This record gives sequence, C-alpha cells and structure tokens, in this order.
Amino acid sequence: MGEGLIMKRNSNAFLKEEYDELVKKNFNWKLRILETGSTPHSVVDGKEVIMLCSNNYLNLSNHPRLIQSAINAAKKFGAGSGSVRAIAGTMKLHMEVEEKLAKFKGIESSLIYQTGFAANAGLIPQLVGKEDVIISDELNHGSIIDGVRLTKADRAVYKHRDMGELENILKDADKKYNRILVITDGVFSMDGDIAPMDKIVEISREYGAMTYVDDAHGEGVIGPDGRGIGAHFGIEGKIDVEMGTFSKAYGVVGGLIAGSQDLVNFAYNKSRTWLLSGSHPPSVAGAQLAAIDVLETEPEHVKKLWDNTKYFKKELNSMGFDTGESETPITPVIVGESSKAKELSNRLYDEGIFALPIVFPMVAKDKARIRTMMNAGLTKEDLDFTLERFEKLGKKLGII
Amino acid sequence: MISKIGFIVNPVAGMGGKVGLKGTDGVLKQAIQLGARPIASDKAVETIKGFISNYSTKDKMQWFTCSGKMGGNELKKAGINKMEIVYTPTSKDTSYLDTKNACKKLLEKHVDLILFCGGDGTARDIFEIVSTKLPILGIPSGVKMHSGIFGINTSASAKMLYEFVNNRLTIGDVEIMDLDEEQYRKGNWNIKLFGIAKGIVEPTYVQVGKTTYESVSDDEIKDELTEHILDEIEQNCDFLFLFGSGGTIDYVARKLGIQNTLLGIDAVYNKKVVGSDLNEENILRLLEKYPKTKVILSPIGAQGFILGRGNLQLSPIVIRKIGLDNIIVISTPSKLASTPVIRVDTSDIKLDNEFAEKEFMMIVIGYRLSRVVKIQTNNF
Ligand SMILES: Cc1ncc(COP(=O)(O)O)c(C=O)c1O
Repeated sequence: MGEGLIMKRNSNAFLKEEYDELVKKNFNWKLRILETGSTPHSVVDGKEVIMLCSNNYLNLSNHPRLIQSAINAAKKFGAGSGSVRAIAGTMKLHMEVEEKLAKFKGIESSLIYQTGFAANAGLIPQLVGKEDVIISDELNHGSIIDGVRLTKADRAVYKHRDMGELENILKDADKKYNRILVITDGVFSMDGDIAPMDKIVEISREYGAMTYVDDAHGEGVIGPDGRGIGAHFGIEGKIDVEMGTFSKAYGVVGGLIAGSQDLVNFAYNKSRTWLLSGSHPPSVAGAQLAAIDVLETEPEHVKKLWDNTKYFKKELNSMGFDTGESETPITPVIVGESSKAKELSNRLYDEGIFALPIVFPMVAKDKARIRTMMNAGLTKEDLDFTLERFEKLGKKLGII
Repeated sequence: MISKIGFIVNPVAGMGGKVGLKGTDGVLKQAIQLGARPIASDKAVETIKGFISNYSTKDKMQWFTCSGKMGGNELKKAGINKMEIVYTPTSKDTSYLDTKNACKKLLEKHVDLILFCGGDGTARDIFEIVSTKLPILGIPSGVKMHSGIFGINTSASAKMLYEFVNNRLTIGDVEIMDLDEEQYRKGNWNIKLFGIAKGIVEPTYVQVGKTTYESVSDDEIKDELTEHILDEIEQNCDFLFLFGSGGTIDYVARKLGIQNTLLGIDAVYNKKVVGSDLNEENILRLLEKYPKTKVILSPIGAQGFILGRGNLQLSPIVIRKIGLDNIIVISTPSKLASTPVIRVDTSDIKLDNEFAEKEFMMIVIGYRLSRVVKIQTNNF
C-alpha cells in the first residue's frame, strides 16, 4: 500500500482479533489430520487409533466397488463436470444416480444436491414464505436452522420429540397461517434417537401440514438394507420431503432429497444452491451409484453395523455406562461434567481410541458425553479392546 | 476469579406463614404470640451447606455478611469461618431497617451478588437500596415469594449460586413483587409489582459453529422481541395495543420510543401513546373508542403469571372485551427456563376456565419465533 494513502479503517483487523478471541476461549478448531483413509483403524495426528468419530458407518468409503466405480467414471467422463446442473452440468450419470436412488428408497423421484447442507439451505427457503410457518424440533441440525433463517416464515419450536407440543402448535398454526411445514432430523446426531416419523406424518396430515425430514444419519443405516426413515416406519412416500446425504453411511459426498415428481420438479427449478453451484464430478456420481448398488446387493454391511452397535451398547450398559436414549449406531456415553468428558476423550486417545467429547452448551450441563459412532468395519476384537479401555478409564475417573 | 458474595439473613422471615398471616411485616409480635418459630436460619444454613458439600468452589469465594443471626451465625454453622462482618444490628430484634443498612455496607464493599434469605418483603427492602446496581439471589424462606429472584427451593438456590460463581449464568431482569399493603388493609389480597431488579438467569445460547455456541444477552433477545412487536403493530395498524407491565415489556416499549410506565399499563395507537398508567376504568373507556385491541403480556415474577399478579387493571371485563385471541405473550427464553408454565389467575372462575380450556399458549421468544407453553389456572 502506498505510503501516502491514509487508511480509512483497518479493514482486516477483525480477522485476527476474532480468531485470537476464539483461541483464548479455547473455541477454535484444532484440526486432527488423518494420514490414512477414513478407515476403522486410522492414523490420526501420527497415532494409530480405532475410529469412533467417523460417519462412514458402513465403511463404504473403502469399498473396492465404490473406488473402482469412481475411477471408471473419472477415466470415462473426466475430473470435473464443467457446469452447474441447470446449464450443461447434468450428465447421464447424475440422472442414473437419481433414478437408482428413488427406486432403492421406494419413492417416486429423487434429486441430488452438492451436499446435504446445500439441500437444506436451498430447498427449505423455497417451501415457505410470508404468511407461512415452520414448526421444528428444538434439536434440529444447524443446516436446517440456516435454511429456516433464509425464509420469511414464522417459526415455532417444539420440545424434542414431543408430539403433544407439536399437535398444540399445529392446532394454533392451522388458524393463523397459509402453509405449514413440519421439519425434523430423522436420527438426531447428538443422542442417536429417532424422530417418531409415523406420528409426525399422521398429525401433520390432519392439519394439512407438509413434512420434511433430514435423515442424514439414517440413510444407509435404518430401514431395511438402510433404505432410510420412511422405510424404517413403513411409510415410504408419505413423508413429503425425505432429505439425506451421501457423505455419511453411503461413504461418498452429496445431498439428496426424495419425494414426489412434483417435489423434484419444483426443487430443481427453485433451489438456488442447486441452480448456482457446480454439479458433482463424474467420480463422485460413479461412487454414489456403486454405493446404492452395494446396499442393494450386499446386506451384510448394514447387518454388521447393527450387530456391532448392539454388542457395544449392551456391554457399555452392563458396565454401568449411561448411553441415553440412543436407538442407532450413534451411542453417547454420558459422563456428566464437561471437564470429565474432555478428560475421558483425551485418555481414550492416549489408549488408541478416537472419540470426541460433546459438552455444554451443545448438551445439558450435567449430560456431557463422549459421542461414539459405530462402524461396520470394526471387528469383535476391536470392540473388546475399546470396551476394555472404556471400563478401565470409566472406573479410574469415577464414572462407573 | 474470586467472587465476592454478600449474605443477609432476615431472621424473622416466614414466621407469619405457619400461623396464617400473610407476612411478618409489622405483625411479628402477633406471630410470636400465635406460636410462630423462626425458620429462616435453618433455610440459610441448609442452602450454604448444600452449596459447600456439592460444589468445591469455596476457595473461589469471599463472604461478606452481618453479625449474629443476620448471617454470621448461619455461615459458621454451615462450616464457613472466613468472612468479613460488615454490619452489626443495633438491637436484638432486627427490622427491615437492619436489612437496608446491611445493603448499604455491602454496596460499599463492591460485592458481586447479594444472597439473602427471606421473602418478598425482604427482597423489596434490599431492592430499595441496591436498585439495579447489583444482582440479587433469594433463598426462599418467606410467606410470600412472588418475586422472580428466588430459587424454587434451597437446593435450587445453592445450585444457582454455584453456576453464578462459575460464570454459567448471566444477569437479567427479574420482578420484585409483594402484597399491596394498602389494598390488604382494605381486605383485598393483591400482589403488586414494585420494580425490576437484577437477578441471575439462565443464558440463551445460539449455535455459531458446529460445536460452538455463543450466549446471547437478554438485551439482544429483547431487541428481537421488539422487532417482532414492531411488525405486529405495523401489520395491525387499526389496532390499539395495550402494553402490560414487567421488565421485558418495559424494555420493548422503551426501544420502540414509547414512554412507558414500568409498573403500569399503557396504551398505544399508531405508535403514539394514547394513555399511560391506566386503571381499569381508563382501559374500559379506551376499549369503547378502539374496538380492536391487542394486549402484550409477559410472565411476571417467580411463578410465571401473565394475569393476576402485578396487573389487576387487566380485569376479567377488560380481558373479555379484548378477547383471548388478542393476547400476545412475549418472554425471553431464560425466563421460560425458570417458569416452564404460565399462570393465569383472573379472580373470575369462568374466565380462568376459558384459559384452562386452551391448555396452552404460543409464546413469542424471538423475532417471529415462538414456543408452546402450558397454561395453569389452579392457583394457590
Ligand atoms: C443432520 C445433518 N444434516 C445435514 C448434514 C449435512 O450433510 P452434508 O455433509 O452432506 O452437507 C449433516 C452433516 O453434518 C447432518 O448431521
């Protein structure tokens, strides 16, 4: 900058100031670096650990068929897609994924977004506007909250999974609003419990409300062969919007919605995230296609995930650990005070287990926890090793 | 960080209760004759003991108190020997003047919080001296405890003290309420709002990163509520708006540039004040002139009353004329955290039942953001 220029203001000072403030409060992210793939045994910051933090539930990210399919697609169609979907970035491959996914889930139609976040942030604001209301579970994921923030609709919040409160709000909303959208996580990512989707659909229909579920942690995990929350409750096609992601159990990346053809037509013509951002590279679409194929033809992965989950939970409970309300492979190990959760996490890492603490105010003050996520690639020996460490440290820290 | 805690016990608080009096103010002799026994001391000791045994924060604290039965004895009984005596009552029969004088001394010592054991009367005495200069926390031990500064029981007060010392609670507005003595002498039992004090409240958190949350101040939430009310006013420009009383509504009104009476009911039409500090008669007259009216209420005091405590001007006739659907209730989430139900006591059973039949109410807790809350009408 020229000497003679007088700076009006220090335009960039806030970058450092705010970062320093985060560091001071210990709120900054210290990135943990994986030197391997996201595998059941990963090398994290130079140390080999059993991975209990990954959303790669089925270990599909390492499945040879997904890898091969990604390579093939890249070789055939190139490294990038060249455009946004709406202009010139829709390849036959993208359409195949959408068709295959809809068929797999038993739903009329589906649409792929760049990420789950992009699906929520792009679609939710188009579904409601002024004169409308969004009714949401108090524990909904941040990407829903951001989608909701982009609307002009009123918002009402109900207590976590409380159908009485939901119905009370619907009763009131029915009188006041034009459109009503009920929105919830499917599998809740902090507690691993499941939204009572059958009831939500039933009550919502009674009041003419639309239903939207973010099943990011349920896709590939719950329902027969991992078909997701609609199939889990036997209400395929009855949830107006089933939203999910390829970035977790499917082992790739990408957001998805499934619903009626009307929904899909509406969604891709209106969602700004979809219209204004490049489409997936062929390799990603190729891997997605293979992931659905694996789920359809190799049921052993989902089965193994659940076998592991049940064993792990049962053993933790019999040791005296509190695993909360979890009904899924997300198993919180509730330890109480935040400091204890942090200490347990650190000691587990020293012992070769990678599991992160979730502390207040993410969860209630006396409900700080280690959040574990099960993986189909872990062996019985891995689980026994992990359980033994949990027991030893749990006793040492006075948790059990 | 060392927390400096001021501690006051009103030794005679609560003595009227067991013998059927509405308080102990001015009737202590009568109470003793009727067989009343002091209870405040035990409650104070119970709280401090609970605090010490459950929370190892003793070393982070410095105690300032009064001699003898106004606090010193209680701290010692609970196992705290290190304290500074800042005030000694002049006679063995203590009165409200001793509470007030002790507060003046605690102000000079720049304590961070006044912890007291007593009832609504004690809270009022303290508030009259410290105003909003210091947060106040009450250990419930009186006959009347309508003010919003009490823990619901001694262990709740102990827990709040612990959270405060550990910077996990913030300072927010709470109402000081008490029996309207003038009315009481005429045979009416009215609870009046006396002022808005600083209390310690549950902060509200918003997610800023995936696992990072920031606490938002009560004022930021109230700014959101203000925006919400502004929208309401602009969208309903043919409506008269009655502003109820209490800390939240007062803040909103001031932000909207409306001259508002903190403890009274004011009327606004087209963003202009058309009546302030209204009594029932004034309100009814306005309702004649403005047939379309909405009233903005907020839970007041410890039990979450929106009607029947501190706003008797909003009589059953007034509420009927306005209509239940034209009641807007606003609240900060921190207030709802301490009063998870809202209460209505209009003194008209039929009207109370109409509220009861609704079962719940939508409460505005942020800009265009609401929650559903249960209504309770079976009062005590
Ligand atoms: C509940 C929920 N919804 C949405 C997302 C975002 O999905 P994606 O990673 O595909 O953007 C996540 C991932 O963190 C999630 O947990």
